[in-house]
Amino acid sequence: MFGWAGTILRVNLSEGSIKKEALDLNDAKLYLGGRGLATKIMMDEVDPQVDPLSPENKLIFMTGPLTGTMAASPGRYMVIAKAPLTGTIGCANSGGHFGPELKFAGYDGIIFEGKAEKPVYLWINDDEVELRPAEHLWGKNVFETTDQLLAETAEDARVACIGPAGEKGVLFATVMNDKNRAAGRTGMGTVMGSKNLKAIVVRGTKSVAVAEPEKFKEVCTDARRKLKEHPVTGEGLRAYGTGVLVNILNQMGALPTRNWRDGGVFEHAEDISGETLAEKYLVRSKGCFGCSIGCGRLTRIPEGKFKSFGEGPEYEAEWSYGAACGVGDLAAICKANFLCNELGLDPITMGATIACAMEMYEKGILTREEVGRELKFGDAEAIVELTRMTGLREGFGDQLALGSYRLAEKYGHPELSMSVKKQEMPAYDARGVQGMGLSYATSNRGGCHVRGYMTSVEVLGIPEKLDPLVTEEKAGWLKIFQDLTAVFDSAGICLFTSFALGLPELADMLRAALGWTESNEEILKIGERIWNLERLFNLRAGFTKADDTLPPRLLKEPLPSGPAKGKVNQLEVMLKEYYQVRGWNEEGVPTEEKMAELSLR
Amino acid sequence: MKVKFFASIRDCAGVKEDTVAFSGTVGELLQFLSKRYGDSFRKAVLAGDQVSDRVIILVNGRNIVHLAGTDTVLGEEDEVSIFPVVAGG
Repeated sequence: MFGWAGTILRVNLSEGSIKKEALDLNDAKLYLGGRGLATKIMMDEVDPQVDPLSPENKLIFMTGPLTGTMAASPGRYMVIAKAPLTGTIGCANSGGHFGPELKFAGYDGIIFEGKAEKPVYLWINDDEVELRPAEHLWGKNVFETTDQLLAETAEDARVACIGPAGEKGVLFATVMNDKNRAAGRTGMGTVMGSKNLKAIVVRGTKSVAVAEPEKFKEVCTDARRKLKEHPVTGEGLRAYGTGVLVNILNQMGALPTRNWRDGGVFEHAEDISGETLAEKYLVRSKGCFGCSIGCGRLTRIPEGKFKSFGEGPEYEAEWSYGAACGVGDLAAICKANFLCNELGLDPITMGATIACAMEMYEKGILTREEVGRELKFGDAEAIVELTRMTGLREGFGDQLALGSYRLAEKYGHPELSMSVKKQEMPAYDARGVQGMGLSYATSNRGGCHVRGYMTSVEVLGIPEKLDPLVTEEKAGWLKIFQDLTAVFDSAGICLFTSFALGLPELADMLRAALGWTESNEEILKIGERIWNLERLFNLRAGFTKADDTLPPRLLKEPLPSGPAKGKVNQLEVMLKEYYQVRGWNEEGVPTEEKMAELSLR
Repeated sequence: MKVKFFASIRDCAGVKEDTVAFSGTVGELLQFLSKRYGDSFRKAVLAGDQVSDRVIILVNGRNIVHLAGTDTVLGEEDEVSIFPVVAGG
């Protein structure tokens, strides 16, 4: 077996049984791995209308064929289940070392079924696999859990686990691995908690074989050289992290401010930027397994009331706790982000939900009695304290644990939730970056930027520059980004490599690893197949064209300043074109012809 | 006119922003600034006489690619932002 390990673990938590199954090579060829292969398993084995927190939902950890190889930034794995936050197919990607270690133990992935009667963890030591009691770990945070598990298994093992947020059903709980890396979005940690599964510990001593070792070495060396030479992957991300985006989005007037209410220019943007983080608090950069980019941040707040040490924040958290909450105190943002890592929370949804609550409070919809404190925009202490309270579901944190949509809907104001399909959008104002609006509206996992990162062409000019204020060409570009991203994700390498590498380099690595002769176009077609399969899952779960939309604020309230002053998002124009480009009918349903073309029939 | 520098361009300029008395085009501004800040700045923003493809230049928040490029004419009230090519997410 080349690229793939060839074995998938099936763990039935209700029965306490563990089976080793041969990888279905036909499916692996059609869906590659990671996100694609796991979604195929979900489609085959789970009713899309299942209650996400019931034992009938499944939770799948899946690597890709390039995970753990010498490919460019090959440290990725994905967690897939039906998502409790959105009700869509759920899917979250993480780096670190856990994914490669799972491959080294000899497994492409793990399918968890049912629900354990009491808390358990899975211990994988190469060929030996067992479920162990985890009652002594229940209630512990991510760091405590990881340290305890390494002490009782093997110090060189790798741990993926949930924190208190996942145990307590916070709808946007993460799966954390290697302490600080997060499979962050859509609530995969919530599903893990619902199954009484506290952690997976893995130790592997094997290696990943590739079909053409010399060719593979050659194409990977070429890819790594390109990463090194590109200003973004070779220099910028290591120096400033992803937070380098804060200033450029702000200068463009597209950094959503105070729950997207006050436009896209935040007066304290410089104070929360990647440049300021590097200047004031950065200890050093940090990379995942086999990664030369090193976008991770090791950060220390040396003194003051937010004194702390941890990893991050990334751009999205700098925004969600910063501009979205009107907070310009970077130390508080760092502290809140560290708490997300410890408790197992998605910092995008967490910060954005607090921002929503702040607007509700200022409008008088929420009272001081309900919240238990003042909650105005700009309150640095509030973002830290409410994060802690949410992770532990204390006081008003119990309400915030539902995410912004359910919170705002409960009080009769769902329009104040800046979310798509109930998941909070990230840090790009779609009135100033039109194609990002189409990307949010059509994302198969709800409001999200890494399903089709139109910012790359609309803001950064990679691989070419499109005008962010117009709608022309956006649908076609988005389809390419969405399909290509699905291939990157399913291959098991980091999406950030796509700033320097394109389809040809990715396809070269896959061909040499797997011994394939497929063309670049055929490999991109895998991405299109995955995208359509995810769409089919969502349609069968009950989603319709009506869900491919944006919050009313983005469609009706023009930006007040900046280059996009007076603009709303022109979604309707782009969405119609998008369905056509996708080969879907006017209701957004893949046609029979498209399904047959993609072997989905 | 206000000129703002970001990320590694800021290191080359040695300041976060500058106010310059200048009239002309974006291309001419870059030459002007290169004289003021020296070789490392010049190497960062120019490739020969052309603007480097490793920088992003905004005038009042609009990328000059969507204006008149380096021929974009600047006025006293304009704000110019200079970034290296950056990305994240």
